[in-house]
Amino acid sequence: MTALRARRQDNAGYLFLLPWFGGILFTVGPFLASLYLAFTDYDLLTPPRWAGLANFRAMLDDGRLHQSLQVTFTYTLVSVPLSLAVALGVAMLLDRGVRGLAIYRSIYYLPSLLGGSVAIVMLWRYIFGYQGIVNDFLAWFGIQGPGWNSDPRFALSTLILLHVWTFGAPMVIFLAGLRQIPAMYYEAAAMDGASPWRQFRSITLPLLSPIIFFNLVQSLIASFQTFTQGYVISNGTGGPAESTLFYNLYLYQKGFAEFDMGYASSMAWLLLIIIAGFTAINFLAARYWVFYDN
Amino acid sequence: MNPVDEPSGLRRRHVLRLGALAGAAAGLSGCGRGFGGRSDDDGRTALTMAWWGDAQRAGFTQQALDAFQAANPGLRVRTEYQDSSPYKDKLAARVAAGDAPDLMAMRFDSLREYADRGTLLDLAPHTADLDLSGLTPQATALGQAGDKIFGIPSGLNTIGFVVDKTLTDEYGVPVPDGDTWSWEQFGTFAAAVTKASGGKVYGANFELWTTANLLVFARQHGDDFFSPQGDLDVRAATVVAWFQLAEDLRARGAIPPAGFIDQNNGASPAQSYLAKKSIASQIIPTNNLLGYNQACGGNLQLLRIPGETHGARRGQSIDTPALWSIAAGSRHPQETLKLLNFLTNQAEPAKLCAATRGVPPNRVIAAQIAPTLEADNRRSSDFLAKLQDETLPPSYPYPVGASKLTNILKSISTEVEFTRTTPAEAGQQFLAQARKALTT
Repeated sequence: MTALRARRQDNAGYLFLLPWFGGILFTVGPFLASLYLAFTDYDLLTPPRWAGLANFRAMLDDGRLHQSLQVTFTYTLVSVPLSLAVALGVAMLLDRGVRGLAIYRSIYYLPSLLGGSVAIVMLWRYIFGYQGIVNDFLAWFGIQGPGWNSDPRFALSTLILLHVWTFGAPMVIFLAGLRQIPAMYYEAAAMDGASPWRQFRSITLPLLSPIIFFNLVQSLIASFQTFTQGYVISNGTGGPAESTLFYNLYLYQKGFAEFDMGYASSMAWLLLIIIAGFTAINFLAARYWVFYDN
Repeated sequence: MNPVDEPSGLRRRHVLRLGALAGAAAGLSGCGRGFGGRSDDDGRTALTMAWWGDAQRAGFTQQALDAFQAANPGLRVRTEYQDSSPYKDKLAARVAAGDAPDLMAMRFDSLREYADRGTLLDLAPHTADLDLSGLTPQATALGQAGDKIFGIPSGLNTIGFVVDKTLTDEYGVPVPDGDTWSWEQFGTFAAAVTKASGGKVYGANFELWTTANLLVFARQHGDDFFSPQGDLDVRAATVVAWFQLAEDLRARGAIPPAGFIDQNNGASPAQSYLAKKSIASQIIPTNNLLGYNQACGGNLQLLRIPGETHGARRGQSIDTPALWSIAAGSRHPQETLKLLNFLTNQAEPAKLCAATRGVPPNRVIAAQIAPTLEADNRRSSDFLAKLQDETLPPSYPYPVGASKLTNILKSISTEVEFTRTTPAEAGQQFLAQARKALTT
């Protein structure tokens, strides 16, 4: 009887894992193939030829690759802390027991679903174009603003803004984390006369640190892999003047537009190493600032 | 049951079940793959056909295919289309995966990328099934590599300058003679529009980052840009002059300030700066005249590119917006040839395609359908016919690697636009990067 129930539970478990097994099947193959292709000269249309380390050597003096690394690092280092801060801030506001929380939560989550869609491109042009809303506003003060999307000095910042705007996913997780913090801590602190700032630093931050850590790792990985937003806003070019040439966008250009899939594969492995490195550093650093209640 | 035995027994069962589940997952995912079957249940042979364009072009294309299917009851054509930029990327992946469409629209600058790698059918030995006698040698050359033919123009076009007559009339600026105007006259005209409108409308959107535009300018300066052998054949002085021209035009107020035009705005006429009435003129591919004129209120004039009668030689040439190519690995080459022959040499599909794909490459058909065309298509058709009667530089497919020049030119143009580099430096940079792109 119990054995039967246990087996049923097992079955249910496997059933839930089914999509993962399906996914793995289609990931492992390409994964191994790209490892092999990274060491070949492969133009997509004719069979790959072994090239040893030639692709990796070519990376050393590929100016566009260096530019794409710079763009991706700048983007990550600015947008990840910024969007996490906004996500946490909004989550704390919502946690105050606003009426209609479910509605607010949905509204703030919505941009996360829209981030890479074509509608956003239109919206962004409408807002940040040379003749867009922002410049219309600046014109009231007699200022002629630049083309925020078309000027290489500003194009990346509008993408960072887009990223910050899609703070919904970490916010929902923060909100769940905040709900887990027992109210009695705050009550006790308030009784001892602790200011809200003090409460935030001494109660919220430490107890929320595992959640912050989780969000940080997730956001960093996602940020290094940014593709869609850069692709749709720059129409796949990484322009103006390569100022939004994300690493993955360049990888895509190399593989599918310039028929250099061998090089693109080696780039993918370099990115894997970079992300693994950052994640490892994160886990090491976590020992010093992440606090587990139990 | 002995509890000690249980784990190992369970494990084996688990493993077996895992295997079965994984198999099922693979099967399920398998169902969603691919682009559908090759042969229909009703026994008709199904051909696949892929191209880029919009809904309007899709409508015309479907009508042409309906006519083909009516005439060939044993054949069925499955067609799919996309916007040009995703189409380009998807085609590469499809061909690489061995899933090339039987008939595919091919970019002029990418033909050699595919042909030189053996993925396209050489059409030259098939002239019994695919009649090319109605095409001028110049039109056939657009899809030719050596003595092989890898693509047939889906239509013929060239580039032209469109001027919004409503705007120029409003500001009282006369439009120069489009057959003989010089670059200097163009600058004067455009600057006059900007001035007369008080800066509300700029004279022109000058797309210095479009390879086809630079190519015409280079020819006017006596260069080929691409040699017939596939090398870069343009002098530094020519490219420098191109960037210098843009800088001068901007300084005169003929074109908008840096950053006004978003290079990556997309190619749809409805979203163009011309349609928004923020500029009064720009270069367009002539097959898009109908679309632009509809989006701009119907008073566009079509002029030749400036400098045609002032340079070392003519710059404009007869080109194609897209070629039709057949996959080397097509399982139905005969049937696909039949379809291509139908599209190329029959009046009805030519008339439908002419609406957005340019003038039919078959001159007999082109002359036959000309009187039936809509006014705008009639205009672009006449514009092209006049050019076809003149002696123009030959046009041939871009060499392998040429599609990389698009991003290079865009990038360097932006550097010039924002004065982060001088025209002289930009010219050198372009030459160095373009040469590298063509050789690696």
